[in-house]
Amino acid sequence: MEKVTQESDDLLLRYIDGTLGLSEKQIIEKDLERNEALRKRLDQLRSTHLLLRANRLYEPSKNFTQQVMSRLSLDPLRGVSFPIRNSILILVGVLMVVIIAAVLVPAGVFDNISTTIDLNQVEISKKYVEKTLPSVSIDGKLLVNIIIIVNLVLGWLVLDRAILKPIFQRRLHTGR
Amino acid sequence: MTNDPDHLILDKILAGEQPAYAELVNKYKSYACTIALRILQNKADAEEAAQDAFIKAYHHLAGFNRESKFSTWFYRIVFNTAISYKRKNRHQFQSIENTVVEYQQEGEGMLEKTDKRKYLNAAMSRLNEADRTALTLFYLEEFSLEEIAAITGMQANTAKVRIHRARQRLADELTNILNQEALTL
Repeated sequence: MEKVTQESDDLLLRYIDGTLGLSEKQIIEKDLERNEALRKRLDQLRSTHLLLRANRLYEPSKNFTQQVMSRLSLDPLRGVSFPIRNSILILVGVLMVVIIAAVLVPAGVFDNISTTIDLNQVEISKKYVEKTLPSVSIDGKLLVNIIIIVNLVLGWLVLDRAILKPIFQRRLHTGR
Repeated sequence: MTNDPDHLILDKILAGEQPAYAELVNKYKSYACTIALRILQNKADAEEAAQDAFIKAYHHLAGFNRESKFSTWFYRIVFNTAISYKRKNRHQFQSIENTVVEYQQEGEGMLEKTDKRKYLNAAMSRLNEADRTALTLFYLEEFSLEEIAAITGMQANTAKVRIHRARQRLADELTNILNQEALTL
């Protein structure tokens, strides 16, 4: 009895799947006629194939969907994306901060707000640091300018991720 | 972006219609449980893992970029959840003997069918998780090789070879089991 090689195994699987070309199919059928080991192997592979096809889907318990939905109802907040209406409210808030700050900065409201922190006055530094520490001056105008930039970046992100992206995704999908 | 009909349901859910998610659960529960069952080899664990996968998918719906089909993205979650379950519950892994007892409760009329299923499950349990999942997805006849690769995190060519080899190995294991059974008769 001839041995079944890896190559013939591959051919047999393609024969079972019906993906062989006509000439390959004729060759394997001729081989099957004269090779008992090959016929036996075809039987094994075909039985396995039929078993797998017959046992495809497992049906879960009847209340499966109900169980999933009850679990979701216990924890609904994390479920859906941030609603667009809330995103718009956040964006409006961020823009209001930027506008107010942008109006107040040129008016010189923050010009006189500056302070100096002497690090040597801090209790912890006295306890653990022997060297003299420098003083840190804080410029109110610079601080407000940084807040404006951070808010602009935040506003841009909210606009892009939470408002424009979901809107365009829905429009592209629905073709509206 | 694909033209997936599920995306309409996703739009409803994302607009706040939580009950619409039940449509997706109903549509995919059998496939999800089948994939989980092939990995976990235990019905109760498989259903629990599939439920967890549905919950995880729901919580990440907003992040789904819709470049693939919803089903491909979701089955990847099922696959990963079942693999994590397997790692966590390795000590609780149900033996083939337990599965046999469960099938015997189905009645004598089902004997031939359950016997075949019993042998198939026994042979399947001798394959590794990735082989079992690849085979299951292949025989669900729902997915292209590319989709099977995306779900299992392999290259398409690797998935093709893996499925091929898994079919051969499964045939070998099934033959071995049946030979052993014949010897014990």
